[in-house]
Amino acid sequence: MKLFDWRSLVVSSVMVGALAANAETRPQYGGVLHVAMRAAPTSLDPADTTQPESFARRSLTLVMFDTLVTIDENRVQPALATSWQTLQGNQQGNQHWQFRIRGGVKFHDGTALSAETVAASLRAANPSWNVSADADSVVIERDRPDPELLAELALPRNAIVKRNPDSTPSGTGPFHIVDWQPGKKLALAAEENCWRGRPYLDAIEIELGKSYRDQMTALELGRADLVEVAPEQTRRVSLEGHRLASSDSIELLALLFARDAASADEKLLRQALALSVERGSIRSVLLQGAGQAAASILPNWMSGYGFVFPTDPDLPRARNARAQVHAIPVWTVGYDGADPVARLLAERIALNARDAGLSLQPTASASADLRLVRIPLASPDPWIALANAAAVAGIPAGVPAGKDSGSVEDLYAAESAMLATQRIIPLFHLPVSYAASATLKDWALRADGSWTLADAWLGSGKP
Amino acid sequence: MTFRRKLLAVFALTVFVSVAAVALLVIAGTRNAFEKTEDQRTAALVTQFQREFGLRGDEVTRRVEAIAASDPVSRMATALHGTSADSAAYFELAKQMADGYQLDFLEFLDGHGTIISSAQWPAKFGYPDTGFESLSASSGENAFLKREELQDSTALGLFAVRTTHIGEHPVYVIGGRRLDKNFLFGLDLPADMRVLLYQNRSEHFAADSLLDPSAPANGVDPARPADKFARLIEAVLQYNQEMTGIVSWSSDQADDEVFHALPLRGAGKDRPLLGILLVGNSRRSYVDLKRRIGAYALLVGGGGIILAILLSSWAAARMTRPVVQLARAAQEVAAGNWDTRVEISGRDEVAQLAESFNRMTAELLAQKERLVQTERVAAWRELARRLAHELKNPLFPLQLTVENLMRARAQSPEQFDEVFSESSRTLLAEISNLKTIIGRFSEFSKMPHPQLQPVQVNEILQGVVKLYQAQLQAPGRAPIGCKLELDESSGTIAADPDLLHRALSNLVLNAMDAMPNGGTLTLRSRRDDGKTIIEVADTGSGLTREECERIFTPYYTSKQHGTGLGLAIVQSVVSDHGGRISVQSEPGRGTTFVIELPDNLEALQNIPATQNTGENAAQFPN
Repeated sequence: MKLFDWRSLVVSSVMVGALAANAETRPQYGGVLHVAMRAAPTSLDPADTTQPESFARRSLTLVMFDTLVTIDENRVQPALATSWQTLQGNQQGNQHWQFRIRGGVKFHDGTALSAETVAASLRAANPSWNVSADADSVVIERDRPDPELLAELALPRNAIVKRNPDSTPSGTGPFHIVDWQPGKKLALAAEENCWRGRPYLDAIEIELGKSYRDQMTALELGRADLVEVAPEQTRRVSLEGHRLASSDSIELLALLFARDAASADEKLLRQALALSVERGSIRSVLLQGAGQAAASILPNWMSGYGFVFPTDPDLPRARNARAQVHAIPVWTVGYDGADPVARLLAERIALNARDAGLSLQPTASASADLRLVRIPLASPDPWIALANAAAVAGIPAGVPAGKDSGSVEDLYAAESAMLATQRIIPLFHLPVSYAASATLKDWALRADGSWTLADAWLGSGKP
Repeated sequence: MTFRRKLLAVFALTVFVSVAAVALLVIAGTRNAFEKTEDQRTAALVTQFQREFGLRGDEVTRRVEAIAASDPVSRMATALHGTSADSAAYFELAKQMADGYQLDFLEFLDGHGTIISSAQWPAKFGYPDTGFESLSASSGENAFLKREELQDSTALGLFAVRTTHIGEHPVYVIGGRRLDKNFLFGLDLPADMRVLLYQNRSEHFAADSLLDPSAPANGVDPARPADKFARLIEAVLQYNQEMTGIVSWSSDQADDEVFHALPLRGAGKDRPLLGILLVGNSRRSYVDLKRRIGAYALLVGGGGIILAILLSSWAAARMTRPVVQLARAAQEVAAGNWDTRVEISGRDEVAQLAESFNRMTAELLAQKERLVQTERVAAWRELARRLAHELKNPLFPLQLTVENLMRARAQSPEQFDEVFSESSRTLLAEISNLKTIIGRFSEFSKMPHPQLQPVQVNEILQGVVKLYQAQLQAPGRAPIGCKLELDESSGTIAADPDLLHRALSNLVLNAMDAMPNGGTLTLRSRRDDGKTIIEVADTGSGLTREECERIFTPYYTSKQHGTGLGLAIVQSVVSDHGGRISVQSEPGRGTTFVIELPDNLEALQNIPATQNTGENAAQFPN
């Protein structure tokens, strides 16, 4: 059984250019696009695992680098790989794959794309993979059948990178690096010889580490063309008339405990906490209606069964669970001090917990008993998303081995097993939202929450 | 202590006590006056603070009224009045309005007391406000104190409540300012005054509940620990009324502060004690004034005491001078200068005393002269008696011999030659005896002066015993045992060894005479109080008390054939050495002569070496 219907995937990619269908419809070359984002990566290497996962990093990666394949309209499309096949057909469970590398492609430093370069790049991003070059092909051997390999290869972290000795990565994407100030600024210029053709934009200047408020101010002052919008601000931004685009709920907001429950009492207290959170009122007030309340790791649109996890609070059960425990510890709940809504969320959760007889102390400190975390789901593919969420949360993935194609039942069982560890309490699934200036045309949102500017251009701003 | 010093001390003490009493009276009077003034000042300051407090309350009230009447609140009230009321859109309104109107606390409540929006605890939306009933009753009234629950603590604030009505659905606006360091800083207070706030969160004093605007950022002032307020605050918590106390910050009283504790009560019927306002006033000016007065008192008192001592010294010297003269004159008289006189000045009691002293010394001198005269006569009589006695014994044989010669010549001429020859020997013998007696008297009158040289006392004693050892055990007389008990610490003294030897020989001979039936002769030496003690003891018949008193008198003797000069010579020798001799005796229990001799070693330094040759050695009679 197919895990989920790609056709039923609600793609929230908004083709902003389509909004201006009645006005400027012919793309124009030239212009510098100004982008602002909250993330402040200090490395552009897609395989650098020391950098926190974010949608902004995904977007930046796919502006400069290409993957072997892409997922477009729920279909796998060739990119740097022109074709692929499993070496033993499907009898071996999609364990051995061969990808033919596109010819005539050059990295930004002028060197030609080769199978060896691709194999080296994939090995760096996936040390557990057995990747080898074979003439103009790359062979990937997995230790188990991996039907999700193509979706995996479409992830930004598997983008093909030529790592130069000076540690600057070189890609094959539509833009190349002109100026890189880690954590502060990135200047990109159009790659004239891009194998996909020259982009319309001449250059992109990206300001990093900007707060949501600063980004919105920059947009209103015309200093930025594309900015991020916090989920709780989407309603206000939309009401103010800005051009807004939002993805599906691709980000998980959850409480993550620092360690496993040490005793049966602690499990009861964690259960009481999970039952005490008023997700509905928090979503309607603090998140201003954005996203969906969640008690599952995967959103319902991705898994199809998310609704079976109840999200309503159950204070009688929570109090009953708490009443079975005599000694009530004071838990510290950590939150990201730079996140404007995180503190309010933590305080509200602490308030709800107090109703259940629990004691939570919000803190912006890095060390806490549990943390309010945002986990960007890595892919619209639920297995990949679940595995990556488990890796980020430090929970055993519970993904069954030896499955050629996991069923919904398997997925449910795997997710239930993760939730049964009581390490994570899912709270909300949130969309990723961006606001764009009127001059930016034909930019698009991918299903994974990142944007693409390969076809974007700058117009006059007239409707 | 001399009489003059005693008199001086009495004068000085009298002046000191007088000055100290005056200074204490002045200080006590000043303190009472200052404390009265201080109380009035503190009362004025407290009144000023309460007025300032009231102004702040009015300001809070005005701001809350303005918020309640503002367009955003009216729009919110209108929107919530609708059927599709969605309070989520106004979640941040309280925070925005609180920032705009500079309030620390602001909450919007619906008609049921549910929080629509909270500036101080935004996450509390949708929760019912505690104490809503009393708050709604306070709508329209003046500002009041209220304890506000926050996320992780509680805070004390000055609150006001106003209502915005849209139809029948009210929206309550509850705003306030936090009573914190900034609030206390903002109060217009006089110099030397400061205000602290204690938030009453528990039954007993808790140091972390005290807000001190003057404390460092971490709230802990090591020089002024919050625990110092514990007693005052505990008292206010117990009696629930205004109280005043002094808080000492150091051993320096100038650092002390007087704190007036004002209970801060909340609204409602029971008016709970929410906090205590501590209005502090430094005591430095008072202590400085007290110290200045004390310094002046000390200066004046010290000067007065010094002046008094000088005057007392002069007066005491003037008053005690005759007494001192009398004392010196008395010492002179005691030393033998009986012709001492004191100067008589004035006619007071001391002058009369001096006059009596002079009369007394004159009388004593006359009596002394009469006594000397009497003793001189008695001595001459004794000398005459002794001479007569001594001379009479040889004269009688002389007379008999001459008469025998005359009779022999007359009756037996043929035997005259034989008688003459025999009588001549007898005459010569008796004449020789007379010459001996006369020689002894002559030698006594020519006692030699001691020729000092280093002498080992123990060696002298051993020499004496050795000299008389044979006689002590001589056949024909009862044996006398001899014991030497010599102290090795009896070292060297400056003495004439010949004189000392002969004096001790006299004592040994005396002892031998006192033991005709045998006995024990003991010679001892020892050191006592820096002197060398020599004892010569016998076990003879002993002496009567009268004999003891007269035994050293020249020519006195208890023996049948003694001249009475032996012990007089011993006393003379001992006296010439600067020592003294005494006798201890009882009849039948023996006699002990005790000689005390000083070391006199310093006298050797000025004596020529030739004097130690013993060239003036003399013979003494037994």
